[in-house]
Amino acid sequence: MTGINLFQILNGLTFAALLFIVASGFTLIFGLLRIVNLAHGALYLIGGLAGYSVAEATGSAALGAVAAMALVALLGAVLERGLMRFVRGAELRQVLLTLGVAFILDDVALVIWGGDTFTVPVPPMLQGAMRVGGVFYPKFRIFVLALGVVVFAALWLLLNHTRLGALIRAGVDDPEMVEASGINIRRVFLGTFMLGTALAGLGGVVGGAFLTLYPTADAEILVFSLAVVIIGGRGSLVGAAVGALLVGLLNSIGRVMFPELAYFVIFGPMALLLAFRPLGLFGKAA
Amino acid sequence: MLEINNLHSFYGDAHVVQGASLTVRDREVVALLGRNGMGKTSLIRSIMGLALPQVRNGSVSWKGEALIGLKSHEIAKRKIALVPQGRRLFPSLTVTEHLTLLKSARATEGWTVERVFELFPRLAERRQHRGNQLSGGERQMLAVGRALMIDPELILMDEPSEGLAPVMVQHLEDIIVELREQGLAILLVEQNLYSALAVADRVYVLETGKVVFEAAAAALAEDPASMTRFLGVH
Repeated sequence: MTGINLFQILNGLTFAALLFIVASGFTLIFGLLRIVNLAHGALYLIGGLAGYSVAEATGSAALGAVAAMALVALLGAVLERGLMRFVRGAELRQVLLTLGVAFILDDVALVIWGGDTFTVPVPPMLQGAMRVGGVFYPKFRIFVLALGVVVFAALWLLLNHTRLGALIRAGVDDPEMVEASGINIRRVFLGTFMLGTALAGLGGVVGGAFLTLYPTADAEILVFSLAVVIIGGRGSLVGAAVGALLVGLLNSIGRVMFPELAYFVIFGPMALLLAFRPLGLFGKAA
Repeated sequence: MLEINNLHSFYGDAHVVQGASLTVRDREVVALLGRNGMGKTSLIRSIMGLALPQVRNGSVSWKGEALIGLKSHEIAKRKIALVPQGRRLFPSLTVTEHLTLLKSARATEGWTVERVFELFPRLAERRQHRGNQLSGGERQMLAVGRALMIDPELILMDEPSEGLAPVMVQHLEDIIVELREQGLAILLVEQNLYSALAVADRVYVLETGKVVFEAAAAALAEDPASMTRFLGVH
């Protein structure tokens, strides 16, 4: 049996950082709008591919990331205003609708980019390896870890120390009372949806640089994001962070220690957790 | 100022408001009385434009403007505020955050956070507490404070005294009287008849979704037959 070493722990942590970036957007939308957006993975993929194209064309990965976030936020706005409004409050229809959108986006990606595997180019300053506690580790993955921490801090400040954040939290608690207090909750919904999808786009560019992008990458990241949000609890930022760490580390360790049971190592504990805490670690009842 | 005419509202097939008509005039406290399940909360929700119950007939007019069909945030913008049954504070927001959802803490016009804290000094001491960390009385103060922050001319209060200790009910009555003196009109749903009679100018009694009795509060207090007949008070 192979032991666990620092390298695998770092792999787990950096994968967790990526998962957090993607799943934080997912949980924002799930928590406030009560929408399980199954198109989140497809938006990740589209964002990653668009970011790839922009980065290749301009030579700037940062520009690619910004373009990906903007494009996916725009797609999110179209999805929210154009489609989701017709199925508000009907959960099964929302799930089916977003699943349909995911299929369409996947096919659009296939038409535009084809079925090849793409790797978003890493900026030169983040290429190569650095020494971390005695192991050589890719600089870019350390950067992803830092980015995950920065995204967490930024979202935490937004949610807890701004008026928009208070509106979002109030909307998670009781959207009807937010509206009766004179606030157009639909605008808060739209803004949150765009923010959440933009995070999927950012995740696509980051993930595209170290996991690569290929036609089924969206479904894989979606399943992991779902696990993160279910474990952490709907709408909870801290829950998403803890869930991402658990899933990231379990995935990385599971792959080494029980490769034939890699998925079970994540979903077994998740099922057990749900048996005792159906709302997840940090979930609250609606 | 507020005129409700022959209003009909439904929860699905359940006809909960069945042709209610009433008016609230400028600077007036009007109490809406009636037993449980007679449609008082449904009537309040219909005025506020909340999604349910669905209004299918009748009119609600506010300073001459029809309110039916407006969303509740648009109704709030027209200076009608809601203090809902059960307070419905936001458990994850602090006291200050409840008061600054619509306005910045630095706003100086109309009701400000400071003015609410002057009215309810207890809330100032609790400003960093979250909605679910407050006592029942503090919760009701905050629900009233949150409503005041939209600078209302009319407040719809749905059973504000429910679950409060007698001393808090007394405090609430004082607040209602003070708000009226400051120029507000209040439509008050109340189970506690004596609390309602203490503050109201006029009362309506609602039975199975319509108004069956209307009188000046002072007149009802002198009319034990009507109290017994409509409110089961002996």
